[in-house]
Amino acid sequence: MRKLRVAIAGLTACSGCQLSLLNCEDELPGLLEQFEFHFFPMACSPALLEGDYDAALVEGCVSMPHEIALLQELRRRSKYLIVLGTCAACGGVAALRNSDERELLRRMVYGQNAVAAETFNPQPLQSVVPVDAVVTGCPPEKDELLRMLTGLVRGALPVSIDYPVCTECRMHENLCLLTERNVLCLGPLTLGGCGARCPSMSVPCEGCRGPVPEANLKETFEIYNQKGFERQTVLERLRRFCPEWKL
Amino acid sequence: MSNFKKINMLTRVEGHGSVELIRDGDRVVGASLNLSESPRLFEALLVGRRYDEIAEIACRICSICSTVHKVAALQAVEQAMGIQISRQTSLFRELAVHGGQIESHALNIFCMTLPDYLRVSGFQELATIAPEQLRMGFRIKKLGNLIQEVVGGRAIHPFNLTLGGMGRVPDALQLQLLSEQLLEIRNDVAASVKYILGLNDVLPQLAIAPTCAVSGGPPLFGDRLTTSTGLIVPVGSAVDWLNEQVELHTSAKISHFNGAVPLAVGPLARLTSSMPAAYAQCFKDASIISSQKARVIELQQSVERSLALIEYLLGDGLENETPVVIVPVQGEGVTLIEAPRGVLLHGYRFDNRGVCSAANIIAPTAINQGAMAVSLKELTEVLDGADYDQVRDLAEILIRCYDPCISCAVH
Repeated sequence: MRKLRVAIAGLTACSGCQLSLLNCEDELPGLLEQFEFHFFPMACSPALLEGDYDAALVEGCVSMPHEIALLQELRRRSKYLIVLGTCAACGGVAALRNSDERELLRRMVYGQNAVAAETFNPQPLQSVVPVDAVVTGCPPEKDELLRMLTGLVRGALPVSIDYPVCTECRMHENLCLLTERNVLCLGPLTLGGCGARCPSMSVPCEGCRGPVPEANLKETFEIYNQKGFERQTVLERLRRFCPEWKL
Repeated sequence: MSNFKKINMLTRVEGHGSVELIRDGDRVVGASLNLSESPRLFEALLVGRRYDEIAEIACRICSICSTVHKVAALQAVEQAMGIQISRQTSLFRELAVHGGQIESHALNIFCMTLPDYLRVSGFQELATIAPEQLRMGFRIKKLGNLIQEVVGGRAIHPFNLTLGGMGRVPDALQLQLLSEQLLEIRNDVAASVKYILGLNDVLPQLAIAPTCAVSGGPPLFGDRLTTSTGLIVPVGSAVDWLNEQVELHTSAKISHFNGAVPLAVGPLARLTSSMPAAYAQCFKDASIISSQKARVIELQQSVERSLALIEYLLGDGLENETPVVIVPVQGEGVTLIEAPRGVLLHGYRFDNRGVCSAANIIAPTAINQGAMAVSLKELTEVLDGADYDQVRDLAEILIRCYDPCISCAVH
């Protein structure tokens, strides 16, 4: 059987989505029988794009001109372009002060000095190219990555998740951190698929997978309000991973 | 197949950078390392955020080093808020940091740099020509991740390490299982030490820069910097002494060490400041490629230290503690810690509502830029007359000896 040719690239990010794949230590040797990770600069030399790809998996947000060029190049060469992680999907942590003047932020770090890098406000991939599927998370879950890859072998794209973290949290019969312990948990508004990893260890959901579609904002904010969390505080938390959160 | 496009970037390293060779006609007369990663401006992102958000955001600087960033940030915030954590929490944090060290070192040794020794392109080819070694490396790497998962809740961005304590304290059974697996991995680790120390060097002999490491605490922890040039710098003076400056060719600030010669940080620096006598012979050649040997020896040390930490935790008896409650106060905290690649500093200042008013993060790969530049210069001198591709190849191998983590360096 022909191996699927895959390109894996990281833009502005922490490399955590790519590392999640490299963390599939048990599965990687087997995956190599079905995939050729042809372009994967983090783990393989050289960084050479060649011919077309069955899929490009791209981590990180776009914040430099050459990243736009690379992304467009990957789009042109790939049947599927798959978004890896919350930075690529929503902008992520790097975008959390996108509402402020970037030059101001730059000066806070570099002072008046000129720096070589030409950068702009971090953007999700969809603002530059059309994408075919999204695997979200900061970082994405290993089993989601593996399901996505094995799906590609069958020619299928991952099914998008449409339920919140709360759904999985209830399935685990966890104590509700928000209603029973008065902790600011973002589970009701956050995309599930992580198995409610954090609340299952008594740590509130920080919203790292981005917003769940069709969340019941009115009712959820009513609960936050009853628990004494100001609207602005909740919004700031939500925007940690997704600056586009609006009400 | 056609339609090539070569991207000018370092491969088999974390993040984005390149080695640029300077030519005079056909001769290569110099080389520079450019860390061209896009700055996410973390020090600005953190300003305005509440004290209880700092560590969760700051750990996103880097995935490979997320546990050590998390711990450094937590310690700095706790110091600023004037709270003490329990011995149990600090032992768990130490354990998580060693888990991160094991994962990171195994990744570098078996995926990033072993291909240089065996002259292949990456782990995919290793799977064909050295499948046993690759699987051995993956087993060790996996255990490093398992430690971080058990303690931190997740191998990357460990949420269970929280301000003042932990979300859920792992139970004794989990720790016993970890301990058993650590005992089992000893064979793989011993075999790795033997294998890596036995590899033939691929670089010419290059001098090792004077070194700098954190000291004054348990392995990887402490409150001062010690240099091989005989200096001791307390944490309170570390920012001034490291003296980071902005330079045009790199997005990462460069340390100037109070005007002294560039110092190197990382495994070799740590071992030269606390070298176990048994391994002294490994470094007789005193060449930068010894970094690889140092890394695999540290792998062994972290496995042993993890076993000891679990023994202390089980010996003490685990308590289901809840995190220390914090009342925000105005304050400042600065911590030093050893990340897999060397000295890491996190410093924060908070106003009386506990809102961050200043943040400063100094990461090991940024500190190492001076030493890497000196090594590159020496390499091009030693290789005078060699052809462009050969110099380029060896320059990239040289940089990988430092295991650069460019997301960290630029942040």
